[in-house]
Amino acid sequence: MRTPTKFGTCVTRACLLALSLVWSAAAGTPTEGDIAIVVSPDNPVGNLTLPELRKIYLGERQYWKGNSPVVLLMRSRGSREREVVLRVIYQMSEEQYTQYWVAKVMRADASDPPASLYSYGIVQEGIRGNSGAIGYVRLNDVRPGVKVLRIGGLLPGEPGYPLH
Amino acid sequence: MIRILGAAMVLLLAPFCAAAQTPAPDGHEQEIRDMRARIEKLEKLVAELQKENESKNSVTAAQTASQPIQAPAEPSSQSAEPNVQVMTADHSGDHQLGATNEAERRFPALHFRGFGDVDFSATDDKSTKSGFNMGQFILHLSSPLSQKVAVFGETSFTATPTGYNVDVERLLIRYDYNDFFKLSFGRYHTPINYWNTAFHHGLWLQTTIARPEMIRFGGRFQPVHFLGMLAEGNVPSGGLGLGYSAGLGNGRSGNIARAGDAGDVNNNRAWVVNVFSRPARFNGLQVGGAVYGDLISPSPALTGNPQFRELITSAHIVWTRETPEFLAEFAHVRHRNILTQGVFNSQAAYVQVAYRLPGEARKWKPYYRFEWSNISRSDPLFTVADLTVAVRDLTGSTVGIRYDITNLAAFKGEYRHTVRTVTDPTVNGLFFQTSFTF
Repeated sequence: MRTPTKFGTCVTRACLLALSLVWSAAAGTPTEGDIAIVVSPDNPVGNLTLPELRKIYLGERQYWKGNSPVVLLMRSRGSREREVVLRVIYQMSEEQYTQYWVAKVMRADASDPPASLYSYGIVQEGIRGNSGAIGYVRLNDVRPGVKVLRIGGLLPGEPGYPLH
Repeated sequence: MIRILGAAMVLLLAPFCAAAQTPAPDGHEQEIRDMRARIEKLEKLVAELQKENESKNSVTAAQTASQPIQAPAEPSSQSAEPNVQVMTADHSGDHQLGATNEAERRFPALHFRGFGDVDFSATDDKSTKSGFNMGQFILHLSSPLSQKVAVFGETSFTATPTGYNVDVERLLIRYDYNDFFKLSFGRYHTPINYWNTAFHHGLWLQTTIARPEMIRFGGRFQPVHFLGMLAEGNVPSGGLGLGYSAGLGNGRSGNIARAGDAGDVNNNRAWVVNVFSRPARFNGLQVGGAVYGDLISPSPALTGNPQFRELITSAHIVWTRETPEFLAEFAHVRHRNILTQGVFNSQAAYVQVAYRLPGEARKWKPYYRFEWSNISRSDPLFTVADLTVAVRDLTGSTVGIRYDITNLAAFKGEYRHTVRTVTDPTVNGLFFQTSFTF
């Protein structure tokens, strides 16, 4: 029979273990939720700051260095990736995003809004077929044939990565 | 995989089941067509999922290095179809595409969007009558001709007592060299003023029912339209986010409320330079100013047939995030009579504040605008006998609320209190508007 002291230690350890399991399950690993910004391997850009990425997605910067046009790819409504991009990059709701692009085309700042694609596979196919395209997918969905950009010097999964 | 296919089959069959339960009279044919289109999209999605599943099996782990990841197969070839004209009605402001080749841009393409509004007004001004009136119907077209060349057009249909007036509000072709230099030719809204180039004729885009008086359509205080050429772009400035536009054109016509579309009225070109900053650190902030110069030859000619040098300077600061939204503009107009050297100075300004309510009330956006103008009463270009076109002093307040019925339609109601001069009666009015885009 165990002594009360040993029994208490075991209970304490079990509680701590259970707490840590609950905590890690609730928090999740950062990698799982990170959204990777992907471009074509032909694109020489390897790193963007968050403000630079915001300017690109807002359509204020429409050309890469070398004057090739930026082709913006968005995910369709309802996807978690799009929710993250709207919240972190655009800092807008769906309604504000719609109004923003209607106004931008109306102002002749852009000839059409970004394409919205139904799946991460189509996003990456679009990027593989267009050297100026930029899109986003969950880190776990990254497939061969695309390049993951660093954002502010950080890759998805690294501490401090902003898109999650 | 089987579960995915099963779920997809359920999705595919669901519309048929729904359709079978309801009769399909003529009015439902559009709905059936929409369902068919959706089925086609779902079929494409299923094909894509199958393809992805096969790809997953061949790739053991996703690589996340910043270096390019080697593809197991050749990248898909581009299916550019330069001779295919694409015509879209972009109803949601969002291009929903479901197939890989649709992610590629095709040229030439044509996108169109409409704007409209229906209004009601009632004031205590005895010279006006209360009632409904049809607002402008606006047809906006954008057509990328190639990756760097695009055409934009804006046509208005305006109700008059005898029918509808059709007007080409804007028509321009633009060549983009890069972000720093874009050159266009055509008819524009003059970049002398933030409001004029931010909302154009799309009343749904603006928070309030009407434009500020200093830049109202048909007004004479500032030239709303400009025909000529315009260079615009960003200025390499890091986080400052500087941008510019510089134009050369015909300027005001003999009727100074209109641009010289059919040719200039003199051999002097108007010019405009606009510089602004959108700091990267403050997403939504824009600060800027503009200078505009022209030689005005009024028609019919004034006594002595004078011409006037016009110099307009303006400044603006706006915060376009809606919590809060803040717009403020000021303009100074200077006219110099070349014959007499008489100088006339006038100023106008407005400040508008709005706030998108949080949470469940986010469809509501209350707003307030204060307007003020101080017009030189001796300026012969502004002080004309017809009070409907004269530019006059103004002190006014507008209080209202906007309710967004959907993402693309809004209802607005506002109260306006307007004071012109000490001899004019104060005017109070209620205004309502439904504005929408499609």
